[in-house]
This record gives sequence, structure tokens and C-alpha cells, in this order.
Amino acid sequence: MKAQPSIAYLIEPRFPGGTSSAIASELKVAAQLGRTSVHAVSSQMFKGQQIAPQIRNILQELGLELIWDAPTISADLVFIHNPSFLKFETTLSTRIIAKHLIVVAHENFLRPAKARAFDVAKCLNLIDNASLALRKSIAPISPYNRETICDWFNTNQTGGKWSVLADDWFNICDFVMHPPTNTPADRRGRLSRPGMEKFPTLAEMDLCFPAHAQSNVILGADLFMTENLKRTHWDMIPFRGVEVDQFFEMIDFVVYFNCATLRESFGRILAEGIAAGKVVISDPQTASVFQGAVIGTTPGDVDSIIKKFVANPDQYRDQVKKGQDVLKIFSPEKFQLMLKSISDQKIGH
Amino acid sequence: MIIIEAGQRNAKSFEAKVMFAAQLVQRGYSPVIDDSTFPDKTGRFLKYEAAPLLANISDISTSGLIVLGAEDLCESTLSTIRSYSLPPETMINAMGRFADDQAYIAATSKLSFALGREVNVVDLNELQPRPILEKSISPLAAMPHHKTGARHGTPELFLFLPIDLLEEPETLPVLGAMDHLAGFQLNIITGGKGKELVRKTKFSDLPIFGLAELPPTALATLADIAVFFGDGVPGERMANFSLDLLKHSGVLVDCTASGAFVSCGAPAIRGPQNLASLANYLEHTVIPNRHEIGRQTQTDKWLMTNSIERLEEALHLPAPPTEPSPKKRTNPKTVFLPTNGNGLGHAQRCSLIASEMPRPPDCTFAAFPSCIPLINSKGFACTPLVQKSEYHTEEYANDLVNYLRLQRTVQTGDRLVFDGGYVFDSIYRTIMEKSLSATWVRRGLWQPGQVRASSLEREKAFDTVIVPNEAFDELNAAYTFGRKVHQVGPIVQQSAQGENDRLKLRQKLTFQLGHEFDELVITMLGGGVATDRSAQLQTLCALLERRPKCLHLIIVWPGSKVSNGLYGWKNTRVIKSKNALALCQASDLLVSAVGYNSFHEILYHGLASILIPQTAPFMDDQEKRARAASDRGLASTVLDNEFMLLEREITNFLDNGKAGEIRKALANTDLPKAGTRDAAALIHGGVEK
Repeated sequence: MKAQPSIAYLIEPRFPGGTSSAIASELKVAAQLGRTSVHAVSSQMFKGQQIAPQIRNILQELGLELIWDAPTISADLVFIHNPSFLKFETTLSTRIIAKHLIVVAHENFLRPAKARAFDVAKCLNLIDNASLALRKSIAPISPYNRETICDWFNTNQTGGKWSVLADDWFNICDFVMHPPTNTPADRRGRLSRPGMEKFPTLAEMDLCFPAHAQSNVILGADLFMTENLKRTHWDMIPFRGVEVDQFFEMIDFVVYFNCATLRESFGRILAEGIAAGKVVISDPQTASVFQGAVIGTTPGDVDSIIKKFVANPDQYRDQVKKGQDVLKIFSPEKFQLMLKSISDQKIGH
Repeated sequence: MIIIEAGQRNAKSFEAKVMFAAQLVQRGYSPVIDDSTFPDKTGRFLKYEAAPLLANISDISTSGLIVLGAEDLCESTLSTIRSYSLPPETMINAMGRFADDQAYIAATSKLSFALGREVNVVDLNELQPRPILEKSISPLAAMPHHKTGARHGTPELFLFLPIDLLEEPETLPVLGAMDHLAGFQLNIITGGKGKELVRKTKFSDLPIFGLAELPPTALATLADIAVFFGDGVPGERMANFSLDLLKHSGVLVDCTASGAFVSCGAPAIRGPQNLASLANYLEHTVIPNRHEIGRQTQTDKWLMTNSIERLEEALHLPAPPTEPSPKKRTNPKTVFLPTNGNGLGHAQRCSLIASEMPRPPDCTFAAFPSCIPLINSKGFACTPLVQKSEYHTEEYANDLVNYLRLQRTVQTGDRLVFDGGYVFDSIYRTIMEKSLSATWVRRGLWQPGQVRASSLEREKAFDTVIVPNEAFDELNAAYTFGRKVHQVGPIVQQSAQGENDRLKLRQKLTFQLGHEFDELVITMLGGGVATDRSAQLQTLCALLERRPKCLHLIIVWPGSKVSNGLYGWKNTRVIKSKNALALCQASDLLVSAVGYNSFHEILYHGLASILIPQTAPFMDDQEKRARAASDRGLASTVLDNEFMLLEREITNFLDNGKAGEIRKALANTDLPKAGTRDAAALIHGGVEK
């Protein structure tokens, strides 16, 4: 019988959003595949912040210990999630020894218009200098994320020799699926962290959330609340002001656009919206990750799309069901297959 | 309009915005600063510098945005620029000194998220690898401009000294000696505390500029040589000043302990670190070679690297819309600025001079509303200025508005003529910043406490000081000396009135006022603003009420405080007139305050008068002036508390022949030639820059 591979995770466990959620879902799968250890780096980026609750809970559930700033990590497979946590570091003091070192990108290496998203070269070089591995790979998490990584490598150089994995290291979407409503209404909403990067221009927000909608719920509206923006037809709620389940109960349509200079690498919140039984609308590039489960459009066309679904509840239900079917391609089982194929790859022979 | 913003919202960042915006103005661009970003605590000088640049962004058409200090962006700044919702065609730039690549990327991302589009971010570390000051928010770029230094052929030396050096016992004596050397004109630059320190010593007449007193650009236009003592480059203002000086071929002498200017690569020359050695070093080493040093500076690579042209290129700014060096105006305007008090006396004097100028149509005025009817009646246009008010939150609030109005009223190449005692910031700054040819008409007879170095230190802004003399020698005293100070004869209105004219005017008064009279008494005791004259006026009204066939006219100025009680007397009328002199000439007795104009009109027109001096501490010494006349038997002096004497003198003048005696004495008195025409000639001549 073939021995189980040893798997070591090197993470910054204090990422507040999607990165930690993705790692938590993934750890469950990885722990079934091999002997898994989880190592943490205390970075400048999250100095003084708490471990994300998703990480704390999954470690407890799996009975795994979180090892901080280990001098050396040695495993068959070492996964480093979201290297951007190294962007403020001058050194990575943990030595890494692995057969295959995989850096899971999570973030796009370039923003739209090819602007650099963070100092990728510095982060990759820190990892490269600290590691001894037969193979070093970058794992994109979506087709768009892959595009930015390849574009970055086309125009930048790093010290090490990195390859890009053929398969996407997608976010596992193992959400509970809720049925769609039979009577959709023009109840719109969006959920995001409150940063400026998460919002389109005010003119576009007005197109997405007009006065004639039955309701417009903006969860994470701290930015507008601070600016005392006057939109009496918006229900502005600060980030974490209500539970996510509660938020989804208030709406029938998720309308999610962000700043033109930022594009989501995966769009986990859109997947959550689909699972919650909602019709989800976003920009075409972000929507493309979900292969028809998310409707790609522009803010100017949001109104007509919603109008059509409200007038045709059957179409609404069909769209949600289609979306929930698509989410199966991001299931734990599919992820396990992908991980196993990587684990089975013969390296160095 | 280009909005100038900074990463942080503190006073230092705001000052950097103002400095950079002021440079862009000089280059011909139209920058503005969002008035909502004005910090809570701002010094007076910075308010003057900022005022012309502030704008409500929703009121303007925006063509660009430049963010300074982008290495340190706060949420307020990002939120503000996001709120502008700038259209796609708006040119957006940012600049900063970024610690590393990540800092640059982070700033670029933050700005792009706030604005919804990519931004051109300039890393000043790349553009200016060896800056004159390592940590500056303003980009510190040398700017070419119109040079006005060496006005008298002698190089203008600007010497920066920190307060600790000024406190050393040997410093001020050395500076005192340097101030009298012929090889250069000494100007000291120091902080506010240093300036106060020098004012309290016997060297208080040393010419000193405060660090923030003028924009660096304005200061640089005055300088030929700058010398710096102290530990290093003393802040962004002085760094900008040094760069501008170098750009117009000035000589920068680095006497700092660290050799801060030389070590960053600036084309400065290393000077002695001992102040006592400086004068010889300048006279024998620098000044003989200063033109060659300046010539070599112009080809210096470091200066080119740190020039505004390079920055403009990096920011993709279009070529400056106007020629940076203002062309000399062919028909310069002469702007007269009479201020202090309600300004009437000053306005009267200025209008007399303006009428004597070769081209009176080229003369215009800026004055308080109280003076405008008088000025208009003389045929001159006038920009209204704002007077102080108890309703203003700051004591200089009105002057800030006046500064903005003056900025719009005058242009480089114009002449400015100020008539007043205190040179307000608005006037001082306008002259310096616009390099105006300026004349100070400064009558004398200040009260002893008024003659202070602080009152006179701004004389340095003027090319010419005209002192209109008093009629009597003992009233004339010089407060400052030098080639720019000129004494002229009394500036006095002169109007001939024949006996026929006099009789016609009296008949006209009878007809218009419906009051038959044989004797006419005129009272002009001032506007009641400086001194309350209600008691004296009531006494005069009562005394003259008893006299049959007497008409008593109280002449008041616009804005005068008039007691209701004056309207109840049968012989008395309160009137306003633009031609008070004609009425005085038609009178039998004049009871008057003793301001410069009234006094000289009385003397030069042979009028019989009782003089009641005003005595406010901020006014001229009117009692001394009155006594000079009464001691010569040319008038009678009655102080404001001498009511019995006033009554006796009224009787003496009107019943006992004293009025006639005084008229006779005046007719036999030789008075100096009036100086109005000379004053006009001085203003018109020798003032081209």
C-alpha cells in the first residue's frame, strides 16, 4: 500500500475574508488525503489581528495544531496560500523543504489594465530563497486569475523557476443549497467588505440600486455611511451589521459590481448568493468563472434583467437551479480529485 | 482647474499643497485647493497664501488632479477625491517618495480604487534621486521666473540664521556690521521667535524676513545670494527658495554644519561656518565671481534634474498656458491705496496726487467704502476694500478679503501707491508677490509710541517713500533715512475762491437751507469714530444758538456718528458735502479738528479757525500741530476739555476781531511750496522695474 503523502500548509491565518474561508474548506479535504500539518507565519500585514474564525474552527474540528513561525517545514507537498501576506516582509525565516511547493495565488497578480496588484516578485523571491523543492508551482484559482498570472510572468522576472499548474485550484463551494423563491420581487442587495475597491462609481451604484426598486440592501455600506451619502431608498448596513443568512433573506437578487480597477479572482460571495437561492448579476469577466450561473452584464442593463425575472418566476427558478448545478464543479469531491492528481505526480524521476 | 490634494490632512500637508499650487500659478496653470480640506489650525501667513487658491470643488470645472505625498494616503483624502466623481477625460497624477516597490503599488492601487481608474504615479525617488530635502511632501522643483533682485545695483544677500545662532552674543554685532557694508544689501531670514528676539535689541532695524512671511517664490525673486547657517536645510519653504534662487542664476552658499546643500549635489558653494568670516568671504570670493557662478549653475545636471520642467514632463502636464516671465506692461496702471481709520484724509491726499500724475486716466483706487464717493467725485474708479468689523472672527479677516481683491486689481508691472501708517499684510504681500513698483506716502507727526521698528520694517517693500512735509519745520521728523526716502512740500488741496464766489455760496446756503444769516460758522470735528465729540458739538450748538442771524453748519463724512441731539437746534444744520473746502472758505469761523489735510487747507487758504485736536492713541499728534499754528498767532488751540475757553474764543473770533487778525497774520506768513506735483513726479519717475 502506498504511503500517504505528507502535506504542510504555510498560511497567514489572519486573512479576514475569502482566503481563510477557502483554506478552511480545503483543509477538510486535504486532511483525508495525507498527513497534514498547518504552519502559520506572523506577518506585518496582519499584525495585531486575530486568527480568522473559519481557520480556528476547522483546526479544532480536525484536531490540528497551528504551528507558528516554525524554523523548518518539511513535507512532500507544501501549500502556501495567498503569497501577498509577504509583501511587507524583508525575509521569510521559515525554511521549506518539499517535493512540490505550490503557491496558491488567491489574488490576481495584475489588476485590469495590467497594473501590478502587489509586489509579486518580492513575495515569490522570498519564498524561493527560503525553499528547497523539486518543483515550484503557482496555482491559479480561476481562469481569470490564471490570465493575470501568465501576463505577469510575461512581463516580469523572478529569481526562481516557477511553473503554473494546469488545473485551477478553485475555491470549494460546499454550501447548503437553498431553494429559490416562487415569487421573486425587485428586492436587490449586495454584500462586500467596505473598501473602495469593492464598489463601482456612485453613478453605477445608482443604476444598480434605483429608487424604483422595492428594496436595495447594501451590506458593507460603511463607506457611504461615513460620507453621509443621501440615498433614502438604500438600506445601508455596516459590514457585519447582520448575519449573511439574514441578509440573503432580505433580497431576491444579488447585484455585485466592484471598482473598475479591480476584478475578483474567484468571487466567493457570488457562489454564496447562488447557494442561497438568488439570481446573481455581475460583470461579464467575474461571471465567466461560474459558467452561466452568474449573469454577466453592465450596470445599465441590470434593471431590465431584474424586470424580466420578476415578471417570469419560472425563469427565475430555472436560473437559480442552473446556478446551483454549476456550483457542483467546485465541490469537495472535484477538489479532492484535483489534489490527488497533483499528489500522484511523479516529480524528480 | 487642477485640484491639488495631499495624502494626509495635517497642516504640513496643507502647506505643501499651497506651496506647490503657488508654483503652478507662477507657471501659468490654474490650480485650486479644495476648501473643505482647510485644516483647523493654520497660521496667519499661510491663510494669506492659501486664500487665492481655495475653491469649492463643486463650483469649478476640473481638468486635473494632482495628489502630493502619495506614499502616505489617509482615508479622508481617498474619500474626498472619490467624491469628486471626476470624468474620464480628467488628467490624474500623483507623486510621492515610496519606500519600496510595494509602497508604490499600494499607493497606485488605493488611488485607482478611489477614482475608479488608473493613475499616473510619479516616484520622486526616481525623478529626483538626490533631493534637496529627503522627506518633503511638496515635490521641491526649481522654477524659472522673473527676477527682480539687485534693485539698486547692489547684490541682495539673504542670510538664513536659526534662533540658536541669533542667541549667541557675538551674532548680532556681526550682523550689525555687515548691514553697513557697501558690497551687498543684507537681509536676514529667521523664524518668528528669532525675529522677535532681534526686535527687542538695539539691532532692531536689521532687515529681517520671517520664514513664512512671504512665499518662497516671492522671496527668491528678491535675492541674488543666499547663505544658510544651521544644521541642515531648514524645511520645505527654504528648500524651495534655494532651488528657485539657483534657477535664476543666484548664488547659494552652504555654511551649514552638515554641508547639507553641497552633499545632496546642489550647485552650492561651501562657505565658512563662522559668521564672522562671512562678510570677507562674500566680498572677496563670491561677489566678484557671482555672475560666473550663476552661469555655471545654469548648466548643472543636478539643477536640471530638480527642475519644474522635468516634473511637468513626468506629470504629463501640457506646456504652461502663458509665458512664465510677465512681459513689461506698456501702460502700467497706478493703483492708489489710502487706508487706516476711515481713510478719508489718506484718500483726499491720494486723489490730489493722482490728479497731478501725467496720465490721470491710468490711475485707479482701492479704498474703504467711506472714501469711494470722494474718490469718484474726483473722477477716479475705485475697488472697494473691506473695513475691520467686530463681527469678523479674526482681526485680519477683512484684510484677507482685501488681499484677494488687490490680487485681482493689480498686475506685475503696475505701480502701487500706499498712503497710510501701517502696511497691512494684504498690501505688503501684493507688492512683494507681484513685484510691484511701490510708493509709500507716509506723512509724519506720529505720536512717540507709534515710531517702532515693527511699524517701519515693511518699508523694505517700497521703492520710494514720500514724506509730505508739515508746513512748520518743528513738526517734521524723519523716521527712516536713505536714498529711497524723499521729502516733499505739504500735499494740500488748493482752491481759489473770489469774494463773488463766496457771496454766491452764502446766498445759495440761505436759499437752500431757508435760513437768513450774517455770520457763518463751520464745524468739522471728525467722524466721531476716533474720538467722541458730542459734548463739544452740543456746546458749540448752544453757544451759536444765542447769536441772531448765525448759521452753524456741522460737516460730517459718510460713516460719521451723528448724535440725534444735533438736529434740535434752530441755528445748526448737519450736512454732508464733497466740497467742504468751499464752505470753509465762505465761513467767518471754522472750528476744526487738526488732521493733516484740514490743517494745511486752513493755512493755505487763510481761514480763521479754532482748532480742537483729536487725541486717539493711534492718530497723529494733532495737538502739536495745532500748537504750532496757535503759537504763531495763526489759529487758536482749544483742547477737548476746555469748554470755557471755547466759549471765550468764539466771542473773540466773532465779536472781538480775532478772526480778522488771524486772517491777516496768515496772509503775511510764508508757507512752503506745496509738494503735490513733486510727489506725482516721484511716483511716475524712477519706478520702472
